[in-house]
Amino acid sequence: MRSAGTCGPRAAVGVIALTLTSVAVLPAQTAAYLDFNGLTRELRSLAGGSNLARLRSLGTSHEGRDVWLVEIGNTAGAPIETRPGLLVVGNLEGDHLVGSALALETIRYLVTTDDEGVQQVLAEQVVYVVPRLNPDGAEAMFNAVRYDRTRNGRAFDDDNDGRVDEDPPEDLNGDGIITVMRVPDPSGSYMVHPDDARLMKKADPAERESGAYTLHWEGRDSDGDGYINEDGAGGVDLNRNFQHAYPYWKRDAGPHMVSEPESRALMDFVIGHRNIGAILTFGHSDNLVTAPDSRGELADASVLDLSAFADASNADIFDQGVFRTAQQGGGFGGFFFGGGGGGLPRLRGAQPGRDNDPDSGRRPATTVNRADLKYFEAVSEAYREITGIEKVGINREPEGAFFQYGYYQFGVPSFSTQGWGLPQAPAEETEEEAEQEEQPPAQAQAERPQGPPRSGQGPPRGGQQPGRGEDAQGVDAAILEAMDAAGIDAFVEWNPYAHPDLGDVEIGGFGPYVVTNPPAQQLPELGRKHGEFVARLATMLPRVTIADTEVTNHGGGVFTVRVEIENTGFFPTSLQHGVVSQSVQPTMVQIQVSPDAVLTGDAKTSMVQKLDGSGSRHEFSWVIQARQGSSVEIRVRSQKGGTATTTLTLR
Amino acid sequence: MTHNGRIGMAIAMRCGVLRTLMAFALVAVASAAMQGLRAQEKRGSDPQHQLPLTWDRWLDHDEISERLRLMERTWPDLLTLQSAGKSYGGRDMWVMTINNPRTGDEADKAAMYIEANVHGNEIQGAEVVLYSIWYLMENYGRIDEITRLVDQRVFYLVPNVNPDGRDYFLDEAGSGARTGHVPVDSDGDGVADEDGPDDLNGNGIIEQIRKYVPGEGTHRISHDDPRIMERVFPGEKGDWVLLGSEGLDNDGDGRVNEDPIGGYDPNRNYASDWQPDYIQGGSMDYPFQLPEARALNDFMMARPNIAGMQSYHNSGGMILRGPGAAWQGTYPAADIRVYDELGENGERILPYYNYLIIWRGLYTVHGGSIDWTNDGLGIVSFSNELWNGGQYFNSPLLQEQQRDPDSPISGQRSRFFFDDFLEFGDQYLEWAPFDHPIYGAVEMGGWKKLSGRVNPRFMSMELFHRNMAFTLYHADQMPLMTIGDATVERVGGNLFRVRVDITNERLIPTITERGRQNTVVRPDLLTVDGNVEIVAAGWVRDKFRPGPTDMIDQEELDRILVRSGHPGRTTRTIEYLVRGSGSMTVRYSAVKGGTVSTTVALR
Repeated sequence: MRSAGTCGPRAAVGVIALTLTSVAVLPAQTAAYLDFNGLTRELRSLAGGSNLARLRSLGTSHEGRDVWLVEIGNTAGAPIETRPGLLVVGNLEGDHLVGSALALETIRYLVTTDDEGVQQVLAEQVVYVVPRLNPDGAEAMFNAVRYDRTRNGRAFDDDNDGRVDEDPPEDLNGDGIITVMRVPDPSGSYMVHPDDARLMKKADPAERESGAYTLHWEGRDSDGDGYINEDGAGGVDLNRNFQHAYPYWKRDAGPHMVSEPESRALMDFVIGHRNIGAILTFGHSDNLVTAPDSRGELADASVLDLSAFADASNADIFDQGVFRTAQQGGGFGGFFFGGGGGGLPRLRGAQPGRDNDPDSGRRPATTVNRADLKYFEAVSEAYREITGIEKVGINREPEGAFFQYGYYQFGVPSFSTQGWGLPQAPAEETEEEAEQEEQPPAQAQAERPQGPPRSGQGPPRGGQQPGRGEDAQGVDAAILEAMDAAGIDAFVEWNPYAHPDLGDVEIGGFGPYVVTNPPAQQLPELGRKHGEFVARLATMLPRVTIADTEVTNHGGGVFTVRVEIENTGFFPTSLQHGVVSQSVQPTMVQIQVSPDAVLTGDAKTSMVQKLDGSGSRHEFSWVIQARQGSSVEIRVRSQKGGTATTTLTLR
Repeated sequence: MTHNGRIGMAIAMRCGVLRTLMAFALVAVASAAMQGLRAQEKRGSDPQHQLPLTWDRWLDHDEISERLRLMERTWPDLLTLQSAGKSYGGRDMWVMTINNPRTGDEADKAAMYIEANVHGNEIQGAEVVLYSIWYLMENYGRIDEITRLVDQRVFYLVPNVNPDGRDYFLDEAGSGARTGHVPVDSDGDGVADEDGPDDLNGNGIIEQIRKYVPGEGTHRISHDDPRIMERVFPGEKGDWVLLGSEGLDNDGDGRVNEDPIGGYDPNRNYASDWQPDYIQGGSMDYPFQLPEARALNDFMMARPNIAGMQSYHNSGGMILRGPGAAWQGTYPAADIRVYDELGENGERILPYYNYLIIWRGLYTVHGGSIDWTNDGLGIVSFSNELWNGGQYFNSPLLQEQQRDPDSPISGQRSRFFFDDFLEFGDQYLEWAPFDHPIYGAVEMGGWKKLSGRVNPRFMSMELFHRNMAFTLYHADQMPLMTIGDATVERVGGNLFRVRVDITNERLIPTITERGRQNTVVRPDLLTVDGNVEIVAAGWVRDKFRPGPTDMIDQEELDRILVRSGHPGRTTRTIEYLVRGSGSMTVRYSAVKGGTVSTTVALR
């Protein structure tokens, strides 16, 4: 067995820098991944050192850690809860610590920058940041033995065998990390990849390939059930626990939507703050580097095959113990004996009743509304411009992801990014590839599959149907190539190991956290760029103002009051899908007189479903009866675009 | 020493104490009650109630609480009252547990969960639940089948899932009481629940408003009965318009009654096929957001022994099962067979009730409670829609008359006839003039809130009893595991072949097929204790003929996982080839069917 000493440097794989480094960009930036206590200290220090930020706990995790929220806004302006709000959430997946690092740096940027535009944003808008939704999962990065743990701290019987967390992976070779075991096995499905001996592929008999290996995560069959590492610590991946395209009955999705204290804390916050007009999450899925295509669909999902193969080693576990043996019926007890005695009862089944049409009823949207696409494209463009990120690594199918809830059910522009790009490998690029990458985004968009828009609606997948994520493309080779070119030691070479149960095996594979998190020294710069992006995104929120007013005196105490409201932001007061999903309230304009005093014209309380941004206006007018010289107040309330009032004197 | 595991001969061992599960033994447990029983029988069939209660009133939350406490005090050995949490309005979510601790711990027996009144206005289910508790207790020790049922099973009874809505319906204005009371901003002005209906004339009833507008209206007065308002045909003109419910513009925004209390559907907030508000109105923002649904789901998830569920609603006379939406597909065939047998016997127990699939026979429901308990908890679940209007005139002759348009009991007239002659006009409020601050001179009147969906009080007893009877039948058909004595055959040396019959005595399997598919029920565990080495184990295909045994391909043969559970009314024979000596205990444990075991000596 190799000693821990020789494996130590490999274990770090450039992920955790143990010192806090000061970088020129902003004072006291953090070039390290932080555990819960470290993150808490930083948040306290930032909130305590600024009158722009307020720290509070949304709730506690399964293991009792706080889910922190930082509210950033200059309280001198309008009441915070009425302002257009931007919500930033990081580290929903436990292993995505870059998300919490970027969220932290975003807070730091917003409260320390002297950029006037940002100060304007904080005077008129509010930014809510939940840096680490999954503190229990994140803490696993700082364990003695590390693996990509996405799940939270719920104790969960993954293999449903009546025993909880009884067969976790084990660090057999003592290198401090869990990687993959490849076991020589003539009946195995996998072979060494012909293009890169580090990688594995599924043998295709039609190509005259035959499998020679089985693959497992590193460890033993601790509970002696014949399966290796099928029930480790942790329960729910919080970014699979939300309400849109929820992956029902999947083992890491929780017993039901919003089942976890962490996800529930976030949901309760969100529905209690309907001024939130846009959402940005850091996570394993992307709709920012690549905006939804012309059909409103996100880019295809991609995965690491090697990890997926190891995950699949226990795929048949739920087939075990399913018995269809012929049975003996008999005469048994109970109130009704009619069914017993050997013969089965004749059943006519449920009655048709009204016999309703099975296809009736509305179906939930599953693609971005065409009218909303340009907003996603504009934000995507801004994101690429500010961060320089053009290419992502793995891109997970966003089943039950929070950002998808944000658009499809909360009805606001809602985004997810991994927060860093796959390192570019220019030397390796072919001319053709380079050309494609240089294309402006609009053209790149056009290259993507075109076609008639689909209905964009469909029943939720339920039951046992496989998710699209299971068909996702393996991108192992591309990632490895890019990592190699960038000098990131992402792969642990295969090394022989004498397994106590399986005999001679090899252990190796992608290092944990490496594919999903950039080297820590990149965090300050990435953090500053994401701070700038968040500030930019906040400026795009709708902002409703009273642009023009006019009072006409008709004599005898009769006046016409005319008001024009304007959305000076970029986003409309509601996306089209916000209207369709009835999740964003119409903008309300109300004249503060008795309803009887409105003689004709608009209703005292009038609504406009949505008001586009970039200076679009809408006019209301009322003919009212009032005393000459008295004043009348006009109130405007836009759920996402703030409030405005003005008082007019009638003369 | 081969003999079959006949009912009554099965020995169950739980927590190391041998005891039988069978009825004759359980009656003995209740021997104290037997003395009283003999005395009663001498006086005829009318039982002397220990707790005389009347069932001709609708009880509000305080009265229900009082009645529950009274019953718990009267039968403290079998009843335990607890609060599963608080409603939004701070009312207790009462759960009454019926369990006989002398026949085993709660967790070791299959449990029937019975709830009612999820919708605040659907009140009579609460009385069915209260009546069920009372009936089971009064007849425990008096009627053998009731005694057996109470001793074999656990019951969790929730009379009122929506206590805020019920009290609002019974004690306050009561209009629009289907919802719970979590505030919802229905009119988009940033303020919640600020403009509901108002009882303007102070008679305690929210009436309908009509206004006389000769030649300009949408309605006219029927020639059949002046109390009937008819919508005019397109192109015609009526003399009346209907202006909605009694109320004002409370918030002065120029709109009347546009943001009443609540404004959602508490039975769309469960977690299977939950859909957002624009697909399924009133579902709220996420499943179990409502404190009431959450408290009761937490209660159920903590009790995996719950194997049956009934949720009483009104009305229409239905025995409903899922799925709630067609896009969920159909239930697995094995589950359908179970539901069909229960549902069809339900139709026999409950005249005027039809056994229906929710989406097909009623309407589409996403995120309803019984879809969740079926899909997410593996519980065989029904929802009865209590009371069918067909019961007003319940003879074939009268029903024929109802189809005759000239009959005084045809169409809408039937309701007035019934109210006039059976309820003496109690349920209808004549139109009376009223000077409305916004609408001017109008008339207010109409049907009272108890009319229509709630059965007439004098017809309650039959409704309560028949629905209870169906639910008790459902409870009786929950899985019930028994185990036969083992047979031992020495193959040679210390190698033995051991066979044990394992039986589920009832219709419902220990794990439904949907429960298995969704992996929401712990598998049954077939375990062996003793100083033995298990060489092989398998299911015997036919124990009376020579033939194959289906070998079990699992690593741990002393702890066999049975993920598909044990089907209903079925005996399976497990065969072990063991090497060893001394005794060997075979135990079968099903979370929804109990744990049974048998011990055999190897010799």
